[in-house]
Amino acid sequence: MRLAASNRRHRVLIAVVPVTGLALGLAACSGSSSVKPVAAKAKQTIVFAEAGLGTEGQQTQKAINAFMAANPNITVKIDVLSPDSTTYLSQLEHSFIAGATTPDVFETDVTYPAKFAKAGWVLNLSKFSPNMSQFFPHEVAAGTYLGAPYAVPWFDNPEGLYYRTDLIKTAPTSPAQVVADAQAALKKDHSLKEGLAFEGSKYEGAITAFLTIDSAFGGKLDPSNIDTAGNKAALTWLSDTIYKYHIAPTAVTGWTEGNVESEFVSGHAAFSINYPFVESLATSPPVKGHVGYIPFPAGPGGTPGSALGGEMLAINSKTAHSAAAWKLIEYLTSPAVETARAEATGDPPSLPSAYTPALYAKAPYFQNVKTLNNYSAPRPVSPNYLQVSSDLQVMLSEVFANTKSPAAALAAAAPTIKNDAGGTP
Amino acid sequence: MVTHAADRPRDSRPAAGDRAATDRRLGYLLVAPVVILLLAVTALPLISNVWNSLHSDNLSLAGQPHKFLGVSNYSTMFTSPLWTAALERTLAFTVITVIFDMVVALALALMLNRKFRGRGVLRAAILVPWAVPTVVSATLWKTMFDPRAGFVDYFLGAVHPAWSSLTWLNASVWRSWVVIFTADSWKNIPFVAIILLAGLQVIPNEIYEAARVDGASAWQTFRRLTLPMLKPALMVALIFRTLQALLVFDIIYIMTGGGPGNSTETLSFLNFYTFINNTDFGLGGAISVMLVVLALIVSWGYVRVFRTST
Repeated sequence: MRLAASNRRHRVLIAVVPVTGLALGLAACSGSSSVKPVAAKAKQTIVFAEAGLGTEGQQTQKAINAFMAANPNITVKIDVLSPDSTTYLSQLEHSFIAGATTPDVFETDVTYPAKFAKAGWVLNLSKFSPNMSQFFPHEVAAGTYLGAPYAVPWFDNPEGLYYRTDLIKTAPTSPAQVVADAQAALKKDHSLKEGLAFEGSKYEGAITAFLTIDSAFGGKLDPSNIDTAGNKAALTWLSDTIYKYHIAPTAVTGWTEGNVESEFVSGHAAFSINYPFVESLATSPPVKGHVGYIPFPAGPGGTPGSALGGEMLAINSKTAHSAAAWKLIEYLTSPAVETARAEATGDPPSLPSAYTPALYAKAPYFQNVKTLNNYSAPRPVSPNYLQVSSDLQVMLSEVFANTKSPAAALAAAAPTIKNDAGGTP
Repeated sequence: MVTHAADRPRDSRPAAGDRAATDRRLGYLLVAPVVILLLAVTALPLISNVWNSLHSDNLSLAGQPHKFLGVSNYSTMFTSPLWTAALERTLAFTVITVIFDMVVALALALMLNRKFRGRGVLRAAILVPWAVPTVVSATLWKTMFDPRAGFVDYFLGAVHPAWSSLTWLNASVWRSWVVIFTADSWKNIPFVAIILLAGLQVIPNEIYEAARVDGASAWQTFRRLTLPMLKPALMVALIFRTLQALLVFDIIYIMTGGGPGNSTETLSFLNFYTFINNTDFGLGGAISVMLVVLALIVSWGYVRVFRTST
């Protein structure tokens, strides 16, 4: 009897311990918070999340110090998250999924706002009546979801075509001329290792490289209909640079923007497709002073091409400090602050008005960057962009490895991309 | 003075029983914090994962009801060509890599079991690849196979000029797999070899001497004595190695990102993308559950086969 009773007690104990543990665990995980808005003039502390390290991080700190001096009631704490974009996104998502009220305001890649907006993680900024017309329109579009602004352009990275002005005297005016110039340069200068370098690794950069040339062939990255003649022509051209014209090596299948930058800056490539940061790094011979940076030249029926990259600023929908957060966004995206950032870090301003003669005097290449901003096309603005991006990466990787023809790859990917981009907007 | 059993107090047994029960209770209380912690970090996520796999649960779609779907996520998974292709690749990778690694590791273990000068240093040295984190070793091998900076093409170019321009990763399916196999085996063979070496060292020397006296050849000794006596160690090594191979992820993520196309994507890779990229905890949960089931089936199969054969 006693043994039976003892066994029962043990069984109860064995059952109670885990249940108590689970209950404690659940209680610890579930937190609720009520959000009572705090006025902008009240004394408060807000958290700003960014991925900036090095010069970028220092410049952000400098700007925020100036903001706090001008607004002594607001203290801004900087939360530096991972510089790796995938990890950065995960860190933000974990905070949002947990319903955290911080970060109050944060930096976001141009491809995230639609996803964040659909999930209800970011604040609709309409209530602040932002003047979005002062920014480059393509980046504004990247932060707009169902007609409402959810993110403000911070800096704008248009990807374009670099070329060596000492080897190619006149900027090419068509894709065919890019090929001809690259072949001629390879014949003329034997120190070159390739005519064209681009990001062909299986990652997001392959999509922006493709997007940079896409409109030049009349293509458009529309997830609902990707299997078009324009997209096919653009993809065929990129594939041909490797397997037909032999101006790009098969090694591009492993190249990211860092590899492409190093190939161009070290004088191994006549042309390269890359972001504006390369201009400021071309400081040694044979490239120094011989850098041209243009939108990808249009072919018949196309328009000059550039892909939009860059960072935006958004506000956590759970924050009680949205007024102070908005004040910080207004400050960071003011012309003088953006110009100072461009001078210090090379981050291209998202405001046309921030491209001043003083900035051009210090860094003349910003004239090229401003031109490219007029052409830069955003990637599909969709809450499911990450899924679409995975599909596009697989398709491009297959073509660059020559395991599928451009036509077959587009035809195979089109229904998957349409399906993944679908669902309720 | 000797105390006889009959002289002991009659109530000594119940007192001992009480003490045992008290000790047991104390034991339970002492281990309770650890049990609670383990349940919180293992049982809770496991149960939660199984629960999620039966629901529509995409974390990016805030406001969407956590709707019960039954086995819908499982049927989506089983009918997906991505799942089928990833399963085939994972099984093929597992079979090839486990066979290769076991054979090489056994040879290595037999060699290290012999007496020779510098044996201790060599035994310690072969563990180095296993001690290097996979992310680091994958990055190292990726660099070594780089067509511009890697030593592999440099040496191949010395043999045949055309081979010096081979792009190994993401430009060809089979070349990508060759590099993945190389890096994976380099890292895991030492681990298997050390387990087998431990197994070899517990085999008594006397039976080898008896075999020698009986005139057994080296092959007969290996076939009839070493291999049967090594079975327990072989089973442990096989289970560990097979599970590692079945769940391979990091080396592929670093080296090819699953490319070219998705030709090097394995089940864990698919699981990662479904969970992290798509934040689909319903479908991702279903894939995780199937991975656990697969691992359990393999372990059970090994144990059964080895038990029968012993």
